Amino acid sequence: MPEQNQLPQYGYVGKIAWIDLTDQSVKIIPTSNYAPKFIGGRAIATKIYWDVTKPGMKAFDPENPLMFMTGPTTATGIPTGGRTSVCAMAPNNLPEQFCWGNIGGWCGAKLKFAGFDGIVIVGRSQLPVYIKIDDGEITFHDARNLWGTLTHDCQEKLRALHGKDAVSAVIGPAGENLCRNASINTSNDNVAAKAGFGAVMGSKNLKAIVVKGTGDVRPYSVDMVLKLRKTMGNPQRKANPVEYLDRCAFRAHINFKTKPGEVKKTNVACSHGCNMRCNLFVLDAKSAFPRKVTNQVHKCIGVYAFQMTEDCGMFPGMFFHTEKNHNQACLSQGAQVPPPPDTSDPHLEELMKRRPGSTLNFWDGDYDRGNVINDLCTQYGIDKWDVIVWLMTWLVMGKRTGVLDDIDLGMEIDPGNEEFMKHLLDMIVYRKGYWGNLFAEGMARAIRTLGKEKYGDTIYKGIISNVVPGLQLDIPISFESSWGHCFHWQGRGFQGSPPPGYYLSATLMLMTNTRDAQTNSHVHDTLDYMKETMDAHKACLNRKVAENAFMGEIKAEMKECITCCDLQSPQIYWPDMECQMLEAATGIKMSVEELYLACERSKNLFRAILMRDSGRCRAMEEPEAYRPLQYPDCEGQTVSPEEFSKLVDMYYDIWGWDRETGWPTRETWIRCGLEDVAEEMEKLGKLPPDRTNKS
Amino acid sequence: MNEKKQGIKERPAEELGRHIIQWDPDISLCAGCGACEIVCSLIHEGVSGSRSRRIFFEHDSVQLMHKVYTCQQCLDHPCYNACPLKDKAMVIDPETNIVYVEEKECIGCARCVKACPFEPKRIQINRNKKAIKCDLCRGRENGPACIEYCQCLAIGMSDDSPPVPGVVVKV
Repeated sequence: MPEQNQLPQYGYVGKIAWIDLTDQSVKIIPTSNYAPKFIGGRAIATKIYWDVTKPGMKAFDPENPLMFMTGPTTATGIPTGGRTSVCAMAPNNLPEQFCWGNIGGWCGAKLKFAGFDGIVIVGRSQLPVYIKIDDGEITFHDARNLWGTLTHDCQEKLRALHGKDAVSAVIGPAGENLCRNASINTSNDNVAAKAGFGAVMGSKNLKAIVVKGTGDVRPYSVDMVLKLRKTMGNPQRKANPVEYLDRCAFRAHINFKTKPGEVKKTNVACSHGCNMRCNLFVLDAKSAFPRKVTNQVHKCIGVYAFQMTEDCGMFPGMFFHTEKNHNQACLSQGAQVPPPPDTSDPHLEELMKRRPGSTLNFWDGDYDRGNVINDLCTQYGIDKWDVIVWLMTWLVMGKRTGVLDDIDLGMEIDPGNEEFMKHLLDMIVYRKGYWGNLFAEGMARAIRTLGKEKYGDTIYKGIISNVVPGLQLDIPISFESSWGHCFHWQGRGFQGSPPPGYYLSATLMLMTNTRDAQTNSHVHDTLDYMKETMDAHKACLNRKVAENAFMGEIKAEMKECITCCDLQSPQIYWPDMECQMLEAATGIKMSVEELYLACERSKNLFRAILMRDSGRCRAMEEPEAYRPLQYPDCEGQTVSPEEFSKLVDMYYDIWGWDRETGWPTRETWIRCGLEDVAEEMEKLGKLPPDRTNKS
Repeated sequence: MNEKKQGIKERPAEELGRHIIQWDPDISLCAGCGACEIVCSLIHEGVSGSRSRRIFFEHDSVQLMHKVYTCQQCLDHPCYNACPLKDKAMVIDPETNIVYVEEKECIGCARCVKACPFEPKRIQINRNKKAIKCDLCRGRENGPACIEYCQCLAIGMSDDSPPVPGVVVKV
């Protein structure tokens, strides 16, 4: 690989813009200050954050740097390279911690075409503004006439103002009003939502970023790019017609009758250069606003607004693979267009054997209601996970347990009623009254303000497993997982049916993160791995689970740095796919081991920020991650704190982190080329003493 | 394909040559990846970028009804007629009757762009001040690259049969 600071002429465009909203100034930083040592995307953003911030940063401080960072594959035509990292101190994490997001759409590619590998936005404008980036020029524009607009309206107005080739990343009223769960929205209804970065934009009085670019991005090898376009994700060449259906059947468990031809659906890609069409696209859907009908994009979560009588089930082939069948992915339950399975595979039956979701009976099928709720979230710019998976389910379970008897929200609490949801989200997004202000702080904080013992931890007794039919699964009314986020393939509550080998690994990944990590680190491994880890107690003693989590986190770093998407990576039977992507884009030839080390560097620097700013250590993160494991999975299995601790020991060993503190050892910092960080940690008293980890 | 959706100014089909078309959404909706213009610019110019494309993908960022604009290969070739260096810079392929640009001869006067009867224009001047236009990937063994790399078969040749939903095309 090239020496540090020697930026290849391919893939990167060479500049990062430092944009200060306070004095409306722009500074240009050479990308070579960071890359290729920090490959791109999140890795560069992490390095910038480490360099320019100090402990004590709050999410809404003007100095909080909000960064949009592309990777070397972005805009080269390499599939899924259009995705872009978004990083900053995050308001929707509990506690606030440095965090990452990942957004599709076209802003990342346009940014490269405009001549920038990324932008860093600091400061706070006196009045609402938007930034326009146009072929190397960055200008500031009055956004008072846009303030208050819904996200689609804002994007369309900006397009009308700046031309059809202008794309934008915008916030809606939720971001303007500093709702902690506010999203940044961009083309194709892609969002950076979970961390609440929409509120960071709002705190800076920044309504939108408009990008236009007519420049070129040159990949190292056109032939390699074209080859990847035909091999990554094994894409099918198949027509994509609009279907007119009388059944809403987006998942096995979302399946109800509608009016004849009412459901108009097909699939779309999420970002520039994607070679898949994972996203479900519904046309002429009922809108929550005067537009009457709208087209909507759904990933995995939006469809649960249509119906939640049963939890999201899974089949092993989504996550666990054999040599003959390794192309199914999470979204292949309905949205994606997966290739047909290889029927000569002797393990096909095992791969396709469904582990059904639990019976929930939260709300029945209603196509219009589902579309209205999704439209509300999209147009207000608010995180669908916080609303659909957490707020709505909490309201149902809270009401059924009597916990909410004393709460008057101005209407009968009924998330199955679209009028109630309109009323409730209007209160939240515009921070109307006590309840609006409370829930605008995000679910984690709202429940703590109300009193977590009663409003979070009360046990709901209405969930029935279908993996062990009839087994009652008693879990809290609040689907809280860790760091202020909700369940996402954690083996409990929503998406609760993955086996232990999945959810234990996912829990380890969540532990060292600052948000729901599953967005870009769905667990993948071999079918043998799954079969070996079906017993939760034994799985806690199995080093392969820790190794899987390590791989998952490394691959997540790759996806965020190079960049790539979670539907394409990891490919268990194509371990050097990302190396090929990097080489095709930049000419940098790295072995799998070298790329792993580059990603370890990025992850460890992320950890350094958490140690420096947030007091991150084992005593903080292990109990935070463990919490869901005390409740039964879909087979009634639980894990004790001691069992989980054994898994954490193995996991820390793999990373080269001290078992007692969870801090990287000096050797680890040096191995990652972060000697300066080791010195800093020593000054902070956070370099663990020299002791040999127990094996 | 509804020609109005292609942005074609009033030009009857019989005046157009064999060209690339975008199928109706009921046949195959463009998924919006932009692969058509990406591979177009990569194959012809070695870069990705809007100034280097010969096919014009117009991204509808909100409602996602994307449009693909292509040279209609007009039989009366007004672009060729306008070229001051016709038969050198702007040349008609004797076998296919398609107009193509010999870039080394092109002086970048943009008269061909002005003469293009469509909006948006289907010819552009690239960064090297040369006119570039779709020539159906003349000489390329697999034919037009945009069609080959469109995963959802949303574009095809005007004399092709529409793709059949559900049928996978092997590459």
